[in-house]
Amino acid sequence: MSENHHAVLEMRSITKEFPGVRALDDVTLEVRAGEIHAICGENGAGKSTLMKVLSGVYPHGSYSGDIHYQGEIVEFRDIRSSEQAGIVIIHQELALIPELSITENIFLGNEVRGRVGIDWETARQRATELLARVGLRASPDTLVKNIGVGQQQLVEIARALAKDVRLLILDEPTAALNEDDSEHLLDLLRGLRSRGLTCIMISHKLNEIEEIADSITIIRDGRTVETLDVRAGGIDEDRIIRGMVGRSLASRFPDHTPQIGETFFEVEGWTVEHPEVPGRLVCKQSAFHVRRGEIVGFAGIMGAGRTELARSIFGRSYGRYLGGTLRMDGKEIVVPDVLAAIRHRIAYVSEDRKTLGLNLLDTIQQTVVSANLPKVSNGPVIDHDRAYLAAEEYRKSLGIKAPSVRDGVATLSGGNQQKALLAKWMFTEPELLILDEPTRGIDVGAKYEIYGLVQRLANQGKGVVVISSELPELLGLCDRIYTVFEGRVTGVVDQADATQEELMRLMTGAPTPAR
Amino acid sequence: MKRKWDPMKTKFATGLVALAAAGALALTGCSSSDRGGPSSEESGGASAAAGFEDGAKIGVALPQKTSENWVLAENLFNDGLTEAGYEPIVQFANGGVSEQQNQIQAMIEQGVKVLVVGAIDGSQLGSQLKAAKDAGIPVVAYDRLLENTDAVDVYEAFDNFHVGELQGQALLEGLADRKGEGPYNIELIAGSPDDANSTPFFEGAMSVLQPKIDDGTLVVKSGQTSQQQAATQGWEAENAQNRMDTILSGSYKDAELDGVLSPNDTLARAALTSAKQAGKDVPVITGQDSEVESVKSIMAGVQYSTIYKDTRKLVQATIDAVDSYKAGEEPEVNDTESYDNGVKVVPANLLEPVIVTEENAAEVYKGDPNLEDLTK
Amino acid sequence: MSSLKQLFGGGIRQYGMVLALLALLAYFQVATGGLVLTPSNAQNIIIGNSYILILAIGMVLVIIAGHIDLSVGSVAAVTGIIVAIALRDWGIPWWAGILLGLAVGVVIGAWQGFWVAYVGIPGFITTLAGMMLFRGLNQRIGHSSTVPVPEELQQLGAGYLPEWAPDTGLNNSTLLLGVLALAAVVWSELRRRARAARLEVEQPPLWVALVRVAVVGAVIAYVTYLFGSGRYGTSFPIAGLVLVALVILYNFIASRTIGGRHVYAVGGNRAAAALSGINIRHVNFFVMMNMSILAAVAGMVFVGRATASGPSDGNMWELDAIAAVFIGGAAVSGGVGTVVGSVIGGLVMAVLNNGLQLMGVGSDTTQIIKGLVLLVAVAFDVHSKVTGRPSIIGLVFPWLGKGRKGSGGTPGADDAQPEVPVADGATSRG
Repeated sequence: MSENHHAVLEMRSITKEFPGVRALDDVTLEVRAGEIHAICGENGAGKSTLMKVLSGVYPHGSYSGDIHYQGEIVEFRDIRSSEQAGIVIIHQELALIPELSITENIFLGNEVRGRVGIDWETARQRATELLARVGLRASPDTLVKNIGVGQQQLVEIARALAKDVRLLILDEPTAALNEDDSEHLLDLLRGLRSRGLTCIMISHKLNEIEEIADSITIIRDGRTVETLDVRAGGIDEDRIIRGMVGRSLASRFPDHTPQIGETFFEVEGWTVEHPEVPGRLVCKQSAFHVRRGEIVGFAGIMGAGRTELARSIFGRSYGRYLGGTLRMDGKEIVVPDVLAAIRHRIAYVSEDRKTLGLNLLDTIQQTVVSANLPKVSNGPVIDHDRAYLAAEEYRKSLGIKAPSVRDGVATLSGGNQQKALLAKWMFTEPELLILDEPTRGIDVGAKYEIYGLVQRLANQGKGVVVISSELPELLGLCDRIYTVFEGRVTGVVDQADATQEELMRLMTGAPTPAR
Repeated sequence: MKRKWDPMKTKFATGLVALAAAGALALTGCSSSDRGGPSSEESGGASAAAGFEDGAKIGVALPQKTSENWVLAENLFNDGLTEAGYEPIVQFANGGVSEQQNQIQAMIEQGVKVLVVGAIDGSQLGSQLKAAKDAGIPVVAYDRLLENTDAVDVYEAFDNFHVGELQGQALLEGLADRKGEGPYNIELIAGSPDDANSTPFFEGAMSVLQPKIDDGTLVVKSGQTSQQQAATQGWEAENAQNRMDTILSGSYKDAELDGVLSPNDTLARAALTSAKQAGKDVPVITGQDSEVESVKSIMAGVQYSTIYKDTRKLVQATIDAVDSYKAGEEPEVNDTESYDNGVKVVPANLLEPVIVTEENAAEVYKGDPNLEDLTK
Repeated sequence: MSSLKQLFGGGIRQYGMVLALLALLAYFQVATGGLVLTPSNAQNIIIGNSYILILAIGMVLVIIAGHIDLSVGSVAAVTGIIVAIALRDWGIPWWAGILLGLAVGVVIGAWQGFWVAYVGIPGFITTLAGMMLFRGLNQRIGHSSTVPVPEELQQLGAGYLPEWAPDTGLNNSTLLLGVLALAAVVWSELRRRARAARLEVEQPPLWVALVRVAVVGAVIAYVTYLFGSGRYGTSFPIAGLVLVALVILYNFIASRTIGGRHVYAVGGNRAAAALSGINIRHVNFFVMMNMSILAAVAGMVFVGRATASGPSDGNMWELDAIAAVFIGGAAVSGGVGTVVGSVIGGLVMAVLNNGLQLMGVGSDTTQIIKGLVLLVAVAFDVHSKVTGRPSIIGLVFPWLGKGRKGSGGTPGADDAQPEVPVADGATSRG
């Protein structure tokens, strides 16, 4: 814990406007030296905007108010000038080049100059040191595309360290990481803090913030709501949520009485080979079943094979199918492509909505009808009015916040985009709906709404499969939870019996402890 | 949905009516436009009877700006036409056939009284030339024949058949002069297949050479004696050089190449390079265009001959034709039989080309600013 | 003022280009002393450029799908020579020649479509190879010589619609077309409103529709007059008719059919499209084949106009078509673009060309100007996309700017986090 209690950073009365929107309204932020300061808020509250003002992405002159850093007023023209002052921001979407090596990425924009050109030997050496500091065991020559997301995150931190960072800003650092990598990262941050680094962390993961933050500033609707001093004690998740949302969420999950019927979907002996590495199996004899009205969860660490399982069932859109049967209502079905899957009333909402799920050039209306165009067409000709009506219906029933369905889907917040994507698949009238990380990158309030939608679907007699990396989410939402480890289904637990520890054990393939 | 009557609506309904009225007015108001009736369809034809006044616009559509010849022509036309009291519109069509088509259309739009065309491809201008004819504009084909159309009134060019004949004769004389007794081994090069002029060059030369081939004085070892075989796509030097390389390595391993018929200087130099690189003695070779490099080569005793076609004379002859049209007369021609362009026989005014060898170069080029000094 | 935006419903960018076109026409009309807006010149512009515009129609679909086609000039040329030779040597009637030309387009299109869609070679490479292949084929088949074509085909490329009584002071075929067009516009507007009312869908107020019809009607009336009042025997050219028919057909396909929607989906996000059940291969095959068929049509129209097929036909046509498409608002990354926009983009280039020629500007200078125009036009597009502001139009008419996709967004923190510009290109989204 650092001794220093002065404020190293003070952002005073920051106001930032865009055409038609005031993103930040008289926001104040005070960060003490050597602390980890968390910033919480719902999506669209203004957290990222505030950090972009600080790091120079929005240069001085495009906002009003002052930034006092290390006792002086600073006016950053661009990212470079803020970096020169020791402020480095790591964005949520990692800014790494997949085709380049770790060394090259670490020194991107900050190259080690030799007498003539770049000095790669020294760079490599420094990279090795930095990798040791962040605890990444990989060769500095490895291409970034060949390492996992968690490790890529560490490369970003190494990069920041190479820039002699004094104030490190992290935007949702553990959003894409599994539990192990998240733990590792948080440990690293603690270590850096003890060596005097000041950190600002934007995060949704309240449990992590509880653990690691020294102070929390809550922002809502572009204004600072309050700043909580964690060290002073008495801060828990509920307190934070109340600050963020303005009300207490008695429960994070809506009440739900499951009405479960017969088994209607079965998978047996499902085996799939990796598309690029022959011989490597991503699904090994997987088997599971889903009953009508049931919400079934899939837990597993990153890379366990859940998404691969789901996508390969969904029209063999991943990997090479080697064997296994699917049964719908007792009858064996063959699903060789996505169109067949849709025809068999299977829907899959992909995990990465921006790259796999949505065409960001489309309007909401176009998105909603895009997987089932024949339903709003006369022969080959689309009836735009019918499409409009259909989209309007979903807008209302799912509560998508947009002035009109003719607006672009890219203008929606994360939660609303996810709803639009959900609407698109509900429009195909599925019997089995597979949701892959449906609440990733979505704020608490929107999550609640999505849980409600999932439960509504179940109540209509459909089967819903939820793949998630947040165990609390699975525990709160699902009736039964399967665990997957290294391509194999290792267990299934009913909601009543499920605990995080039990799931963890099955997910990591750990042997049953002797009792 | 609200259906109240609001003032905005009235305003726009009124606006709509006004617009409709304007539209109707526009449609009817011009019923007496310059359409004319069916009778005026037969306008066109060489309006020699009409004539026109001073200061008229004259359109000159030239091909790509790719050689000294054409740049010279551009300047000569601009100066000459202005001096003769006209307003010249001279354009190059570097963008190819479609650009030339558009340029000719534009010239007609601008109201030129005579159209001079140095075509890129003489058969692809049919529609535009017809439009010129319909508008009563006489069309002069400059240097390259305009084919497949009846909308051309006179052809101004050097007598290209005669050029070929001169080249054939020069080749025979050169062989006798430098290569001793016959029989002689020769090869033939022809111009680009899409240039109408390539044929008269080749046929003119063959009219002199064919009898000698038939009686054995001349031997074409490669056997490539048709124009098609001898053709050089795009008049490109590299095409001629490649073909020569192949012929030399194929048919001349143990034989000497005595002479080459080349239709122009560029291809002649290409063939000479090919022979040199193959280690052969310099053959007797003909050319055309009097290009600077070739004149130097002739004076050095390497290339045997070239042809001098004084562009100044051709431009002047064309301007004379324009003057004739201005006066309402037909231009002077001296050949009304040879040039059948597929639809009609085009009256031609043929100028005399001059064969140039080392002996007469100084005399021929006297007065030419570029070439005179080379002969000293 | 969203009604005003609904008035023209299209992207602001597209209307920016229409205004640019009108500005160019006005400028050249003045600079050439009135030579531009004459019936014969208007006819020349259409006849002289219809083949490029036909190419642009096919090219925009290719570019929307995320590909490009560099072979169109060569395909047009080889079709032209095959048709010319067939008509000359086999003595078949002209309509058989045209069918033959279309068949050539289908075969070539299938060939290129196969490589792109089923083997997976990028369109750029496949069509680059095609460009060389078909150019060589053209020269080989035609022995690099020029082959004239019969009168009927010339009518296709340079011909006009017939004259007939009564004497209205205009070419009656053109007048008839104008009246039909006007009727079609009014009828479609009525039908649209009736259907929307029946389904109780929100729609713009009546005066908006009236103004829209009035403006379009005025334009149709003027164009009818312009083309119909030329010299006796001229009218709206046949080539232009072919062009207009294709524009209507393809605009319909692109905006109103499932197949058209699929093209936009594949171009907008291929992975998402695949996961939505769209057959990517079919889409790719279709756009490539379609392009070659249109290239064949363009080739025949050009050969008709040139009265003969020549060995250097088709040279550089692909670049003109591509320029038209990008000026018309398509995005380099795919997923964006319209048929009408591309035709307008092509007309901008055509009017520019024509105006400069009428002013006597040399070929080289014209080339320089065209290059600069392309650069500036696309620069505005990129600029407006990045800053979320619709370029000049937005500055002049600020009330037209709101509601455009990706800009401004709506107030309320709960809602859209505006897609805001960031200097280094990264944007923040929800």
